[in-house]
Amino acid sequence: MSEHNHHEHHVSSAGQLWAIGIALTLLTILTVGLSYVEIPAPFDVVVALTVAFGKAFLVCAFFMNLYWDTKFNTMLLIGAFAFFILMVAVTLLDTLYRNDVVPSF
Amino acid sequence: MSNHSQAHPAHLQHHFVDSDQQFDAAKMGMWVFIVNEILFFGGLFCAYIVFRAWYPDLFTQAATELNTVWGAVNTLVLIGSSLTVAMAIRSAQKNQIKGLQINLLITIALACIFLLIKYFEYSHKLHIGIWPGAELYTYEGIDHPLAHVFFSIYYVMTGIHAIHIIVGIGLMIWIYIRAKKNEFGSEYYTPVEMVGLYWHLVDVIWIFLFPLLYLIE
Amino acid sequence: MATAEVSNKKTLKVQRFKPSDNPSNTYLTDEKGVWAWMTTVDHKKIGIMYLVAVAIFFAVGGALALLLRTELMTPAKTFIEADTYNQLFTLHGAIMVFFVLVPSIPAALGNFIMPMQLGAKDVAFPKLNLASFYIYVAGAIFTFIALAQHGLDTGWTFYTPYSTESSSSVIWVTMGVFILGFSSILTGTNFITTIHKMRAPGITWGKLPLNVWALYATSIIQVLATPVLAITVLLLTMERWLGFGIFDPALGGDPVLFQHFFWFYSHPAVYIMIVPGFGIISEVISTFSKKTVFGYWAIALSSLAIAFIGFLVWGHHMFTSGQSAVATTVFSFLTFLVGIPTGIKIFNWIATLYKGSIKMDTPMIYVFIFLFLFSIGGFTGIMLGALSVDIHLHDTYYVVAHFHYVMMGGTLIALLAGLHFWWPKMTGKLYNEKLAKIASVFIFVGFNVTFLPQFVMGAQGMPRRYYNYVDQFTAFHQTSTIGSYLLGVGFLIILYYLMHSLFKGAKSPANPWGSRGLEWQATSPPDFHNFDHTPVVIHGPYDYHQPMEEFQLGLAVDTNGHDSETAKEVVDKEREQWKNYSLG
Repeated sequence: MSEHNHHEHHVSSAGQLWAIGIALTLLTILTVGLSYVEIPAPFDVVVALTVAFGKAFLVCAFFMNLYWDTKFNTMLLIGAFAFFILMVAVTLLDTLYRNDVVPSF
Repeated sequence: MSNHSQAHPAHLQHHFVDSDQQFDAAKMGMWVFIVNEILFFGGLFCAYIVFRAWYPDLFTQAATELNTVWGAVNTLVLIGSSLTVAMAIRSAQKNQIKGLQINLLITIALACIFLLIKYFEYSHKLHIGIWPGAELYTYEGIDHPLAHVFFSIYYVMTGIHAIHIIVGIGLMIWIYIRAKKNEFGSEYYTPVEMVGLYWHLVDVIWIFLFPLLYLIE
Repeated sequence: MATAEVSNKKTLKVQRFKPSDNPSNTYLTDEKGVWAWMTTVDHKKIGIMYLVAVAIFFAVGGALALLLRTELMTPAKTFIEADTYNQLFTLHGAIMVFFVLVPSIPAALGNFIMPMQLGAKDVAFPKLNLASFYIYVAGAIFTFIALAQHGLDTGWTFYTPYSTESSSSVIWVTMGVFILGFSSILTGTNFITTIHKMRAPGITWGKLPLNVWALYATSIIQVLATPVLAITVLLLTMERWLGFGIFDPALGGDPVLFQHFFWFYSHPAVYIMIVPGFGIISEVISTFSKKTVFGYWAIALSSLAIAFIGFLVWGHHMFTSGQSAVATTVFSFLTFLVGIPTGIKIFNWIATLYKGSIKMDTPMIYVFIFLFLFSIGGFTGIMLGALSVDIHLHDTYYVVAHFHYVMMGGTLIALLAGLHFWWPKMTGKLYNEKLAKIASVFIFVGFNVTFLPQFVMGAQGMPRRYYNYVDQFTAFHQTSTIGSYLLGVGFLIILYYLMHSLFKGAKSPANPWGSRGLEWQATSPPDFHNFDHTPVVIHGPYDYHQPMEEFQLGLAVDTNGHDSETAKEVVDKEREQWKNYSLG
């Protein structure tokens, strides 16, 4: 099949890629800086994870090109993450709720 | 489609109809593999979360032994390497083979710097007695009976991540050699893109490892 | 034929390609010799290699089972020491679960048949497919090294803290399982991509055979669950080797956490084992009822529902482990929920039979055996899901009987149905139908004699994995043992007539069962490339009311510039599926 009927693959410009790289660097500096600020638990984790998610989003959408890719691949990523959350949440249903008082017989 | 009278590109595998189908299939396969990796590391993150929920003080205490500066440097190194591997793919897409080769080399170099920093981190810890597992752990500096548990989790998470980095370096060397042999161009750069996706995944995992292990003082 | 404008219609010229009953070149003749087989990337040969490996492991696991049952003939020691007994049941479980049931249907039959059902030439990643097989073999080698060293006596479930302290070769086996997991993962990755990307023109999601839907759901489970098993065995290895302290309470860990990790994979694993079996049942039941499957979308989507809900019920293996009451309650509720999609399938299959033209050939016999045995297995699973009941039944023979009914009475019987159904397709030979029916009687009777008494003795309190037992259970155990020998005879008969068929069996026509499946529109055995044309599908996979010729269509080939003799306009609204298949 010698016809070149590619559906176009997205090509990012060098400027776009550098912009994302710089954004990621700034977010890294931000998260390190915030770690020195006294934020009460559990919000310190929430803040750190929010920044981490922001960085991960930038990498997945614009370095891994999910933004321009078929939606199914994005669904795979989100699906995987959803199952991870389920694994953690249901396990915590056990591990956080131990210490049930055992009635004495 | 049973005859071969039409020339098809050398990279087109026999069971695919055209290059697009082959590329899309490769990409989907790679994303399914990424799903795997997310669940694989997910198990480790789950162990982390369970133990941190049980012993929050252990984590905040023990994390003081981890050097935030070097962790941050490593984060920036990996981000840089993600940028350069994305640039490598871009070079391939634009048929700039020299650019592809150079960007791959820079990515490999940054990956090696990451490992080097990790080597210093690990050797410092091993030197002061912070070893994985209760059998070998001898450090007295953390006032918590389960300190070895935190470091077991630390070592297995960063260790498996480091193994993924090593594998990534190997893959990139392989791609570099193939690029030198002119196997890639704007018509066909699928393996470059696949290795790139793998590398970004390794970066994303570190993006989560870093704050969860290093920034919890 | 790429069109610039977006239209909903796509016209393809097709002609009929009737499969020859006497193919001269097949996948067996085109690549010959041991080296060709060992380096093949042909999905059909890889499927056969898996089938042979699975059969060998089944024989080993089955022999272990017979040894166990023989030992249990008498309440005290019969001829085996207690420690050896522990090793035997551990290995029986590990081999049957990891080396037989998980890979059998997807990797053996799925590999062979699924690409043909999609009208594809191969799976998406043929070399990865071969790698999956060798990884499976590597995992097996590790396990057998363990056997040669100190064996394994922890039970196939490796619970801590015993597995961290046992002097048996735990690490060899956990590493073998770790390696084996990759085989499963890569097969799942391959199948998902194949099903999405390699479908012949006309095969929309609504025309996929239910076997393919089942393999799709299975692959999703494989890809999501198996990595967690990998991490679990890795952590167990570290725990044992270095004393990590995650699972061992003496070091600060939690043994129940191990169980969470272990069962997060191992419960979905049982769905990996059974869902492909469901796929086979759909194929066989429609062929031998000459009727479309009742409730196509219900069966297709219920496989996905099982895949999803199946991830949320793992704690039902841990009701008595000390996990929190909250978790226990949630898991029990979800366990009841997961039975619903399975029940939907059973009802739909029975409705398929209604007013069908039933032919009781051997594959169909196994379908009926499946419906009976699997239903019992499924019901007893629900009973075990009831918390108050499980307190008494956990770790008794009731559980053993339950899982043998679903795994053996379910998966293995479905495997036998599929094996007998697709045997002519894979080998081009027919087997002795009379012997096959006799074997099926031995299997059915032997199975029930073995496992029905186990429900009763389990309910009366006989614990599982016990080497000794009190006299109250002797009659049950002895009956069970006799049943196991009947089962063994049945399998030996099967082995005999299948081997005989390979060497001296009657030649099979392309489509001995008159099935409408796309795989049957190729020769038996198939061509190296499966089809020598690009199949075009215009009907659903079970449209028995349509003539056979309309299932044998392919893209018209222009020879010498003449137009093909018959052309048909094919309309398909989902042109996205094959807008890249511009073959001209």
